[in-house]
Amino acid sequence: MNVPKQFKFILGGLSLLAVVTITYKAYLLSKNESSFYPDEVYKVTYRYFFKTDTSATTIKAYLPKNNSRQQISRQKSTLPGNIKFSTIADGSNIKGRWFTEAQNTYESLSYSFFFKGKSQIYGLTETFRPIPDAMDQYLESTRNIQTAALPISRLANNLKKQADTDKKTIQALFDYVHGIPSAPIITLTDALSALERNEASCNGKSRLLVALARNLGYPARIKGGIILTESNKRTSHAWAELFINGNWVPFDALNGHFAYLPANYLELYEGDEFLISHSQGIQFDYSYEITKEESLSILDEEAGETQRVTAFSLWGLVKSKTISKKNLFLLLMLPLGGLLVALLRNIVGIRTFGVFLPVLIAFSLLETGFTTGMALFLFLVLFVGLITRPFDNIGLLHTPKLVISLTLMVLVMAIGNFLGFTFDIPWLSSLTLFPTIILTISAERFSKLIVEDGMHKATGTLFQTLMAVSVCYLLFSVEGLDNILILFPELLLLIITACMILGRYVGLRWTELLRFEPLLNPKYI
Amino acid sequence: MLSRIFKVPNPGGVIGLNRRNIEFIYPHNQRRHYILADDKVKTKMILHQNDIACAKTYAVIERISQIKAKWESLQNQSALVLKPARGCGGGGIKILKKSACGQWQSSGKTISEARIFQHITSIISGLFSMASNDVCLIEECIVPHPFFAEIYDEGVPDFRIITLKAEPLMAMLRMPTSKSDGKANLHQKGVGIGVDMDAGTLTQVYDGKRYSNHHPDNENGVFGKQIPYWPGMLELAQKTARAFPLDYLGIDLVIDKVKGPQIMEVNVRPGLGIQLVNKCGLRSTVK
Repeated sequence: MNVPKQFKFILGGLSLLAVVTITYKAYLLSKNESSFYPDEVYKVTYRYFFKTDTSATTIKAYLPKNNSRQQISRQKSTLPGNIKFSTIADGSNIKGRWFTEAQNTYESLSYSFFFKGKSQIYGLTETFRPIPDAMDQYLESTRNIQTAALPISRLANNLKKQADTDKKTIQALFDYVHGIPSAPIITLTDALSALERNEASCNGKSRLLVALARNLGYPARIKGGIILTESNKRTSHAWAELFINGNWVPFDALNGHFAYLPANYLELYEGDEFLISHSQGIQFDYSYEITKEESLSILDEEAGETQRVTAFSLWGLVKSKTISKKNLFLLLMLPLGGLLVALLRNIVGIRTFGVFLPVLIAFSLLETGFTTGMALFLFLVLFVGLITRPFDNIGLLHTPKLVISLTLMVLVMAIGNFLGFTFDIPWLSSLTLFPTIILTISAERFSKLIVEDGMHKATGTLFQTLMAVSVCYLLFSVEGLDNILILFPELLLLIITACMILGRYVGLRWTELLRFEPLLNPKYI
Repeated sequence: MLSRIFKVPNPGGVIGLNRRNIEFIYPHNQRRHYILADDKVKTKMILHQNDIACAKTYAVIERISQIKAKWESLQNQSALVLKPARGCGGGGIKILKKSACGQWQSSGKTISEARIFQHITSIISGLFSMASNDVCLIEECIVPHPFFAEIYDEGVPDFRIITLKAEPLMAMLRMPTSKSDGKANLHQKGVGIGVDMDAGTLTQVYDGKRYSNHHPDNENGVFGKQIPYWPGMLELAQKTARAFPLDYLGIDLVIDKVKGPQIMEVNVRPGLGIQLVNKCGLRSTVK
């Protein structure tokens, strides 16, 4: 029974085609040498509404700049003809300036841009290098950052006493400020009142942290920006930055980010400033409209080559919101996981409950986490497998018996879920993430296997299924695999070819090497 | 490294499941004919049509309504076997014998007619067949030849002969043990005894781990022991293989005390453990 020639020909052609297009696209991608791989992408729109005054009206707001962890692109300003827009430098910040001489008119304008951000962790040494000159402005006392005030000074020195290195000192200051109860205070809170009231929002906390740091001689400043989440919001955010070993290192004492900035932090300006300023006495309103954009980190969407690469990929489906990136990834992973299970079964020779069960369980593990998920899976199969055994002994027909198992499985899941939510146990409430039907069939097969082949072989199969699940999970957690599968769906053709080759593999399975060892090892014969 | 994993020296021509499926089963057995081997009623029809020695079929019960009438027609028999036609792993098989005072007994205990009817109903309902319905086969009870008792005196032993295009490749004798609950299957703790195909004699005993020269439950050596009717058994296996449109088969036979070799059943997916029992790869037996 040989594979027909035409078949080989078609397969060879398909795989060649796949390899050629993959190589071509990889070549195009490698040409645009973007080395910025963002974790998250957002579109941000500032919207301003106001009524002009009887004299000239000005609105100013900080605009974002590129740096090592954020890239800004496709800036677009939309405004009526009577308003003039310009950008002006303000120290190291950039401001947008909208100016009009129209009088007593209602105006609305917007400014939008795309933000690509990476999260960044800063490593701190125990002892910091000496601070350079010209840092005086970051050490001084201001109206709202009362560095030299006695309570600040006393607290700072108290906290310092318990710490023997620079890093521990900063950690102590940070922990103190982080520990202050947070409150949504809209009015301005200076460092001293944040300390005295023992309650503050982001700006109070960041001022207090800056004041404490400056008091101990660490250069510090306020940083302003917006935390980006899919929403329409009016709140901006402030955090502190300390100058450590030549870098400005972020500390967000409100959200507990120590020397770390998440990917969705839009940095806008430095200094103890307000994001927006406008002419006195006008009616003014604003909002920030933020939408999250699906992104592929290896894709630089502005590059011309990208267009040609994505035209022959599934990225369009995600862009047009036909399917979410996650669902598409899961869909594409199914064949790859299947191939892995086929390899494990036909080459390694392990036994599993069902062919695709390990793949689906591995998917569930992505949601629940590996250890919890494994334990839950084991529990569900064992528990339902064992509690349905009495029904076997009654001598029930197969199908009604299967329905009993399914019902018990659903009950266990529902009860687990209920208990999980009631007592706030997250791992219990994740029970329903598992593929119920397939799990039931596994439990059923497990209990049947106990009867047919004994506990020993049944637990062996269960254990080997767990092994296959772990291998699938390892495969799914490979970083960047989603990018590759979405950009190079031709890989699926290669999976077919691989299976054609695997499907004709007649060699001994690895487990058979053990089984037939007496016949393979000459010393026995 | 990779080539070492994939190119294991295999001078004996041992085949694994991959090769069995691709080179033996798929090209030689068509899936639509599997049913002829999987359904014992169909198997026996073919055997009877070709005058191949096998247990006589007394009755086939397809519906619950037939049970009473068919059972009554069997009352002049002194022993019989109830079997599910599509049972697996030997489940549901019941041997019934009439006692001296004319009562039906199972495993030495008297069994009421109601219990027998219940068992037949269970078979027809598919309880032993992983299906929603099945057929109950009632046939002659074979009395094993004393040859088997000389090796081990309990349970149901049988011979397995592998045939390829009606050519016997390899054979073994499967024997129950005190641990195997009357069953002779290798993976149910039975033992396999190798067969010298040319001489018709037994070789070594294999219990799944070790080789020895005697059954695990006694000390009687088996090596070189002559199998009665051996040429006749080979002939019977060949005749059976020709009668089926399946070219790769595992044929199970027993030897009746009076009637000699009888076919028990045929398998389309015979296991590979027979290679271990005979210390020989199946590929080296294919000419």
